[in-house]
Order: sequence, then C-alpha cells, then structure tokens
Amino acid sequence: WQLEREQSTRSALREGFLRSLLGAVGRPLHLTMYERVKVNATFGASDIDILNFQVSNLQTPLGVQKEALLRCSDIISYTFEL
Amino acid sequence: MNEWITKKPLEWQEYVSKEVKVTADEKNTFQGWVFTVDPVSASIVLVNFLDAGKVSVVTVMGHAIQSVEVMNEDGNHTAERLSALFKPANA
Repeated sequence: WQLEREQSTRSALREGFLRSLLGAVGRPLHLTMYERVKVNATFGASDIDILNFQVSNLQTPLGVQKEALLRCSDIISYTFEL
Repeated sequence: MNEWITKKPLEWQEYVSKEVKVTADEKNTFQGWVFTVDPVSASIVLVNFLDAGKVSVVTVMGHAIQSVEVMNEDGNHTAERLSALFKPANA
C-alpha cells in the first residue's frame, strides 16, 4: 500500500501541473532563460515529458518570431498571470 | 544532479500549500505558495496572490532548482484558494 500511496500522490501532483499548463494556454509568458536572457511569448503547448514548449510571438532581442519551440533545458523559470 | 530532483512524490507533497523560497541557477530566487510539483520534471509551481484578485503563477524548472526552503506553513485559507485555482470550468 506504500507504493499505492506514492502513485496516487504522484498522479495528484501531475494532474495539478497539467492543469497549471492548461491555465497558461494563450497567455503572455515571461521566461527567464540561461545566460541572463529574458524573453516574452504566448504559451501554446508542451510535450508530455516537458522537454519543449511551443510558443507564439516570441519577442527576443533579435526580433519577434511568429512561432517557436523552446527547449525546456534552456529555461530557468516562466511566469504568467491569471 | 541536484537533490531536489531526486525526491519522491510523498516528499514533494510535503511542500504543497506552504510558502517557500526557491533558489535556482544563476542566482535567481523566487518566493510563493506551492501549488504543485510536477513528478516528471520536478518543476515547482508557485502562486502569489496580487492585489485586485490577480494571481501570478511562477514555475521554476526542476533542473534549475538548487534549494527549496519553507518560509511559512500557514495554510487552511491558502490551501482552499490554491485548490480552487485551476478547477475545470464544468466541475
């Protein structure tokens, strides 16, 4: 039953996380990346293993990118408002 | 590999609904109430209640987390506000 408890906690935590990602869809995202880079974009989707984010209107120091994939390994944090 | 990423779901669960300070790579620090921790990426979702009913959500990626320190255990009221946050509209 210890394993069962661990698995149900795991799924509850995961569900919360997926809901928080769903809540971010279509919202402006402020991203802190490595090398002190800060960019803004509109959140679209993530893959299930949280390796990539699909974003739109990525505002970078080099201009606006209509669509982009961000590698999660390059991201330190992201913020959005509800 | 950092210590945070090797924790078990039951250990992450301990942080939920508590106020924490997260120290991340490149001297970034974040503070907020823990909404959840993704068991796949170890990313922590922090919530801050702003004025005018606004809510700010900060997620720190698991691979970038250096330490997580509990600041405030408080709770009951915050736990309710947190659980109501991302409820599906038809629930």
